[in-house]
Amino acid sequence: MVLLQIAEPGAGLDPDTKRKVAVGIDLGTTNSLIAHFDGASLQVLQDGSGSPSLSSVVYFGASDVRIGQAAMAQASAEPANTIASAKRMLGRARGEFEDDPYVTLAPGDTLAFATAAGAKTPVEVAAAILAALRERAEPQLDAPISGAVITVPAYFDDAQRQATRQAAELAGIKVLRLLNEPTAAAVAYGLDEQAEESSVLAVYDLGGGTFDVSLLRMRKGIFEVLATGGDSALGGDDFDRALADHLLAELALANPSSTQRRKTLQSARDAKEALTEQESVTLDVSDLAEALSEITIDRSVLESLIAPFIERTLHACRETLADAEVAAVDRVVLVGGSTRTPSVRQAVAECFGLEPLCSLDPDQVVAMGAARQADILVGNRAGDEALLLDVIPLSLGLETYGGLVERIIDRNSTIPVARAQEFTTARDGQTGLIVHVVQGERERVEDCRSLAQFELKGIPPMVAGAARIEVTFRVDADGILEVTALEQETGARSDVVVKPAFGLRESQITEMLKAGYEHAGEDMQARKLGEAQVEAEGLLAGLRAALAKDGDLLSDAELRDLEQNAAALEAVMDGNQPEAIRDATESLGRATETFAARRMDRSIQAALQGVAITDLESDQEQGDGR
Amino acid sequence: MNATPGAPARDYFALFQLQPELTLDEATLEQSYHALLAQFHPDLYAGQSQMEQRMAAQLCADINSAYQTLSHEVTRAEYLLSRAGVDLEAAERQGVGGEFLMKQIMLRERLEETPADDAAAREALHAEITTLYQSSRDGCAQSIAASDWSAAARCWQEMCFLSKLQEAARPEAR
Repeated sequence: MVLLQIAEPGAGLDPDTKRKVAVGIDLGTTNSLIAHFDGASLQVLQDGSGSPSLSSVVYFGASDVRIGQAAMAQASAEPANTIASAKRMLGRARGEFEDDPYVTLAPGDTLAFATAAGAKTPVEVAAAILAALRERAEPQLDAPISGAVITVPAYFDDAQRQATRQAAELAGIKVLRLLNEPTAAAVAYGLDEQAEESSVLAVYDLGGGTFDVSLLRMRKGIFEVLATGGDSALGGDDFDRALADHLLAELALANPSSTQRRKTLQSARDAKEALTEQESVTLDVSDLAEALSEITIDRSVLESLIAPFIERTLHACRETLADAEVAAVDRVVLVGGSTRTPSVRQAVAECFGLEPLCSLDPDQVVAMGAARQADILVGNRAGDEALLLDVIPLSLGLETYGGLVERIIDRNSTIPVARAQEFTTARDGQTGLIVHVVQGERERVEDCRSLAQFELKGIPPMVAGAARIEVTFRVDADGILEVTALEQETGARSDVVVKPAFGLRESQITEMLKAGYEHAGEDMQARKLGEAQVEAEGLLAGLRAALAKDGDLLSDAELRDLEQNAAALEAVMDGNQPEAIRDATESLGRATETFAARRMDRSIQAALQGVAITDLESDQEQGDGR
Repeated sequence: MNATPGAPARDYFALFQLQPELTLDEATLEQSYHALLAQFHPDLYAGQSQMEQRMAAQLCADINSAYQTLSHEVTRAEYLLSRAGVDLEAAERQGVGGEFLMKQIMLRERLEETPADDAAAREALHAEITTLYQSSRDGCAQSIAASDWSAAARCWQEMCFLSKLQEAARPEAR
């Protein structure tokens, strides 16, 4: 492993480096957007007809696939082939949707929709939407996309995040980072990010299918998420359904057909939108029921129907305020189309005691923040960007005796984070240990979400309690977990990147990718070769730069060893064997480990040097902490 | 507590270049934390090789865990004890003295008897608990400085009890 290109804080982009094209994608339950930041201005990319948003709807017909508005046009003719709101099913179990009247599931164990094009998983639906966005952007930006920041609800759990990453992979998009939606919104609003004064920002994000609330503190170029809360299955869709159920009752339709259900849902959605501006709305229901030709709905009816959902969001807000331990909030930002509903705005204003900000379009602000962050992550840094410190939304733990959860990483821990805990065996001569990883706040395993289960084998037989098994949880900057179990005496180890129990297997993804490349006339081998070469070039360039700067950290023998490894990589680099390049890259990487560690220590010292100097002033300003 | 399984753990105090003591300036700790993140946050390495990304993420995970542990007195004390090789579970089994236990039970009873809306009474109780906590903390700091680990472990447990009580007695902020 290597850490060669130590970034210099404040160092700008090398003027000779070509600006890379990165995008921000808001993969929404109802609508999806793609935005780009070119270093000067932010733009949400529009389709041919000038619409910035793409309906998150995919039509899987017998002979073709349509996305967005074109898919929606098929909704009434072929409801089962037209998939909407698939995001709320990403990374979830089939059992959760067996009784859902709005979806038609394909037979089998996996969660998949039955369509004319065969069974389609939510990941494939999301991939189709992402691919459509990419195809929209590339001609406009006149360049292939180097990478994307894709936003996810802050309250998405591990499986939902993994599923989102898989969808991007299927769509041929390199994910620079999964970014929490409220954090992205805060970035878009973060105009005075270098302000000396610290301020606390609350982001209330109510989308079509998910609700998030995050509290952030901004100070001197650091955006720190203090706490986040929410509900990944609560949103404007619930408003629509509550109103649709109300309409069905008014129409005395006890057993509506799926067509009637869809039409009613569409009417409910239209009515809700109309009631944002109007006090009442009259719906034409002549094709829904014989008894009535129209129904009038007052805003107050909608408000009483959705009040319980709004109360749930406020409850989450209060809990998050308590978690963040902040006394007051300086600004509240509204995000998500559902915050257009007047009673939502009013409730938020009352809850925080502040008039909420909505100067940026609540439908576009997330994509805009993501685009800005994508530009930074892809390497187009100006040097003065704010640093984002995000958190994990839910605690992570392990099952212990009696079905209880031992918490390893607490919710709202800043990521990336790693924690290890030691466990031991319960029985004499026990040689294996089941590691069951769960996510959630409850004490009992059955009340938490099961993420993965694996077995550590090869523990030498010992008396109960003598083995020392260290289990390490590591959460990366995307909020994705990796777990390792290691028996300390023998070094027996077992590690898993926690795969979503309900997502796709690696082999399925490979198959789909292969099929996709064949379809697009691309050669998978050529792509692999290209990727391996880019990686190798990056490593070699980094090594040269590092040697020029910190070569004094190496002895002559160490330097020779590094040079040999580098020469070995250079020898295979221009060949056509991706595996050979990858192996040589890895071996050079391993050879640079010590060098990298020394460079890291040197730069830790350099980073802390600055603090020691500013020490005196800050002591006077801030007192002694607590 | 280390981020790399099987590798020796990075010492949290050494990481921040601090003396291993319970008393430290939390404002400076926070500044150091931000200075380290400004150098090693994975966002700064996103465009670079996978190995560099992984290494930055590991160091940053250590920095985050270290900050989280050191920024609170109770967990800082616990870390000081565990890095000195004190068996915390054994210390917990041994428990605090009977006298402290009684005092703690009485405080809890008084808290339960104080109505939530009697702000003045809660404020007074909270202040009393805070004073007790501070004295246990000072005792812990001194014992650690003198390497008197059994006394330090006892004080640490008192800190655990009292900080929970302090939290429960906190007057409603809003």
